[in-house]
Amino acid sequence: MDLTTFPLLSLILWLPVLGALALFLFADARSIRVTALVVTLLDFAASLLLLPRWTPDGSMHYQEVLAWAAGLDFRYHLGVDGISLWLVLLTTLLGPIVVLFSWRNVTENVRSFFFLLLIQQAGMLGVFLSLDLILFFIFWEFTLIPMYFLIGQWGSGRRVYAATKFFLYTMAGSALMLVVILLLYFQTGSFNWLTLKEAGLDRTLQFWGFLTFALAFAIKVPMFPFHTWLPDAHVEAPTAGSVILAGVLLKMGVYGFLRFCLPLFPQATAIFLPWIAGLAIVGILYGSLTALVQKDVKSLVAYSSIAHLGFVMLGVASMNEQGLSGAVLQSVNHGLSTGALFLMVGMIYDRRHTRLLAEFGGLWRQMPVYSALFMVVVMASVGLPGLNGFVGEFTILLGAFRVNPLWAALGTLGVILAAWYLLAAVRGLLHGPLDNPANQHLADLDRREVLVLAPLVLLFFLIGLFPALFFDKITPAVELLLRDVGPVIGR
Amino acid sequence: MVPTHYYLILAAIIFSMGALGVLVRRNALIIFMCVEMMLNAVNLTLVALANQWGNLSGQVFVFIVMAVAAAEVAIGLAIVMAIVRHKDTINVEEINLLKW
Amino acid sequence: MNALDILQLLSPELILALTGFVVVSVDLAMRRRDEGRTAATIALLGLGGALVATLLLAFAGTSTVEAFTLAIDPYSLFFKALAIVSVGLVILASISFMRGKSRYLGEYYALLVFAALAISLAVSATNLVMVYLGIEFLSITSYILASYFRQDLRSQEAGVKYFLYGAVAGAVMLYGISLLYGATGSVDLATVGALFSAEGDQRLLGIAAIILLLAGFGFKASLVPFHQWAPDTYEGAPTPITAFLSTASKAAGFAVAGRVFMVALPNLVADWTAILGSLAILSMTLGNLVALKQTNLKRLLAYSSIAQAGYIVLGLAALNPGGDFDGVGGLLIYLLAYLFTNIGAFLVVMAIEQHSGSVDLAAYNGLIKRAPALALWMTLFLLSLAGIPPLAGFFGKFFVFAAVVERNLLTLAAIAAVNAVVAAFYYLNIVRAMFFVESEEQKPVSVAAGLSAALAISGIMVLVIGIAAQPFITWISRSVEMVLVSGM
Repeated sequence: MDLTTFPLLSLILWLPVLGALALFLFADARSIRVTALVVTLLDFAASLLLLPRWTPDGSMHYQEVLAWAAGLDFRYHLGVDGISLWLVLLTTLLGPIVVLFSWRNVTENVRSFFFLLLIQQAGMLGVFLSLDLILFFIFWEFTLIPMYFLIGQWGSGRRVYAATKFFLYTMAGSALMLVVILLLYFQTGSFNWLTLKEAGLDRTLQFWGFLTFALAFAIKVPMFPFHTWLPDAHVEAPTAGSVILAGVLLKMGVYGFLRFCLPLFPQATAIFLPWIAGLAIVGILYGSLTALVQKDVKSLVAYSSIAHLGFVMLGVASMNEQGLSGAVLQSVNHGLSTGALFLMVGMIYDRRHTRLLAEFGGLWRQMPVYSALFMVVVMASVGLPGLNGFVGEFTILLGAFRVNPLWAALGTLGVILAAWYLLAAVRGLLHGPLDNPANQHLADLDRREVLVLAPLVLLFFLIGLFPALFFDKITPAVELLLRDVGPVIGR
Repeated sequence: MVPTHYYLILAAIIFSMGALGVLVRRNALIIFMCVEMMLNAVNLTLVALANQWGNLSGQVFVFIVMAVAAAEVAIGLAIVMAIVRHKDTINVEEINLLKW
Repeated sequence: MNALDILQLLSPELILALTGFVVVSVDLAMRRRDEGRTAATIALLGLGGALVATLLLAFAGTSTVEAFTLAIDPYSLFFKALAIVSVGLVILASISFMRGKSRYLGEYYALLVFAALAISLAVSATNLVMVYLGIEFLSITSYILASYFRQDLRSQEAGVKYFLYGAVAGAVMLYGISLLYGATGSVDLATVGALFSAEGDQRLLGIAAIILLLAGFGFKASLVPFHQWAPDTYEGAPTPITAFLSTASKAAGFAVAGRVFMVALPNLVADWTAILGSLAILSMTLGNLVALKQTNLKRLLAYSSIAQAGYIVLGLAALNPGGDFDGVGGLLIYLLAYLFTNIGAFLVVMAIEQHSGSVDLAAYNGLIKRAPALALWMTLFLLSLAGIPPLAGFFGKFFVFAAVVERNLLTLAAIAAVNAVVAAFYYLNIVRAMFFVESEEQKPVSVAAGLSAALAISGIMVLVIGIAAQPFITWISRSVEMVLVSGM
């Protein structure tokens, strides 16, 4: 098979949709689960095919263009570069993991659940792969629907409230985006990202365009003060939903900044960068401090997400090679480690149906495998050298330091706070006496659960020990971005 | 000969009276009579204008309006009658089952 | 043009008229009552024939031809097809819904067919007399249909309110028509357009005429401030009729407004687009805000359809001949998407009303458990109304917004975009009830065959227009070109 003409990206994008439709061929829950697993594994395999023939330049690879509507410059245009590559891989990797995790604990409406998971995956992939702004917008809006039902149907507690809030918040954020996309079209005659970034838009349009896009993306990230939907959505979502939310959906916001805000509106970027940095730092500190006082482990992880995404945005705001590369890698890291944290919280919740720290303690003795893995995941999240989190955070802080040492200093404070609240979680769950009788008969992880976590843990080490493998592909794309945007903002 | 604009002004006054009646009266039948007044004011306008322009379009239009108005009366009265049979009132403020 | 050509050009109208009369006569002649089933069948066959005739004319590439003050052009053929399909779906759903609710079902179906005929005449009128006749013909049939449940006081109230507002709106519109005639001495739209200038006093007269005419068109389209009848009439009228009023009848209002303004008042385009723009803002905002607190589904959809009218009229307000997005194309594609979406939503309302006798939001609680198909279709329609891609409603919004942005009416675009979020709030509230609220009732909902068929047609069209919008857009842009070339 000739990979240069084969529509690999379309295969990656549409395979989950076909799989979702295929679920209707089966009636029993087991076949449905197996189908979903096979489809997501195939999708992951397909996305791995992107790697071997990757040429390390910053351009768009594997582009596919299909004219869509006659007379309008509106195309089905896909492409992937070093920035989106790892996010695509992260999405396809988390696919089989959440399917496997949900194997046994989703028993109601199994088909609908996996159907939604699969089309959610397709929607997110579409966001990362689209180079046409309308196509991007379609996928961007579409991702709301499956997640709304995932949270609302399979969530816990105030799930309906959380789902509605998620939907309306994010929809409100992108309400004006379509208007700006159309404005861009009438200025340049194109919906195409490749054309638009060369177009040199006028200053006013850049200003408003940046504000509109940034609002949509900032809500998705979420940046302080647009974060209020996140704790609700994360906490009430089913574990699989939380993993996808934290792992991929939030990255759509970061990706939006990198792909659209910076290259399309460089002059406006120059104006707003300090604001982004400021909000990012507030987000780091706010998220960390709030995480410190959480009694529910899942809320703790949710608030830690706000802090971690603050780091990522600080990297974006640094607007230099280290900052941006670090932001991309840390996005992936956060997807892996917070995804793992949510999975582990989900595993304990499946056993005890509570997530309150006060209910636990001393699990170290009862569940050694769980505890060991939990420690590794926490260390990855805290940023222990040798693991993935360290590489990402360190690179970001380096980038921030080169712009403004104060940013880096405040960021470092965030690292310390992260260690504090995460170790507090470790202490609450694992250490101390095993005094709650309900915990004394908990079963340790079974083979399936270890299998769910294993690839994530392996990647922690892989990224931590061989970061160059990843930076190799990120850096050229970032350099290309900086070559276009850097001079405008004086970096 | 009476100038055309005299007719037009008279028609406008009648039309306004009809419109005012529609707004202030609450009896369905009287409202409907006011609508008839408005229609006839327009008819007057059309006839006067047809005379002014010296073509027949306006006059033909008047016949059509009259026919339509007759049909409207037939339907309107039937609906009002059906309500009276149920409720024994033609005051539109008392016809208020459907609320904001 | 010989008689045979004319017969062929007017074949949709002739078939509709004939069908109407046949339905009445057959119903009269039938000794055994079959609850209107024969009448409905004949009506559906006739509508099918009329649709085929319309589409044949449309795809034969008919350019503008005038026959008896009726323009047979792609624009009118588009709206004829829309009206016929809409009435067809309504009849299909009525077969089971109306059974046992009225003794006079033959006339009911005949009146619906005549309503389709009225719309066909109104949308092709090239003459002010015909415009008036068409609209009044449609109004009079609608009055009867709205008050069709003679024993139900609410239906009577719906009828009398619709009638009183309609009669006044008709008279006001007629006064506006007389102003156009007075200024130009002609009732032919194109002649009026050629003679009516935009200077001095004539401009003032023109603006007065626009506002007066809008009373009539806006009444049909339920645009604020001519909307007061809509909530009450929508709630009280038989639900199939509500579906008809909110789609075909509304589309007729826009179609006639579009043609009259574009052909008869091209010199005042700046004025009437500005007026329509402000009406759009009012309609969207008021409709959405009031819809937020409705718990009666029919009333909620009434306010939603007022808000939707605001979006639809944006297409005319952003008229931009020669632009990439000319506005009229947006109007047409929005109406096409809206037709199937809104009828679909009302079809679900009918199914639930038939099952539980209620149109309250509470009747939808836990619908996903009792009637998964209904709940899923309803979700599809609501998301399409909210404009979520990749459904039909999104493309309607997209093309309308594009025209607005191209004309650089950015405030209007921003207000419309924000309104879309408000609307999502109450549409989502219905979805929430259907999926996430438990209901005491567990009895599964059974849906009659005709209604299911209508639902399937609407739902599939919403998906098809969304996913494969291209052929529809191509067809529509062709029909727009014709009108813009002939009109402006």
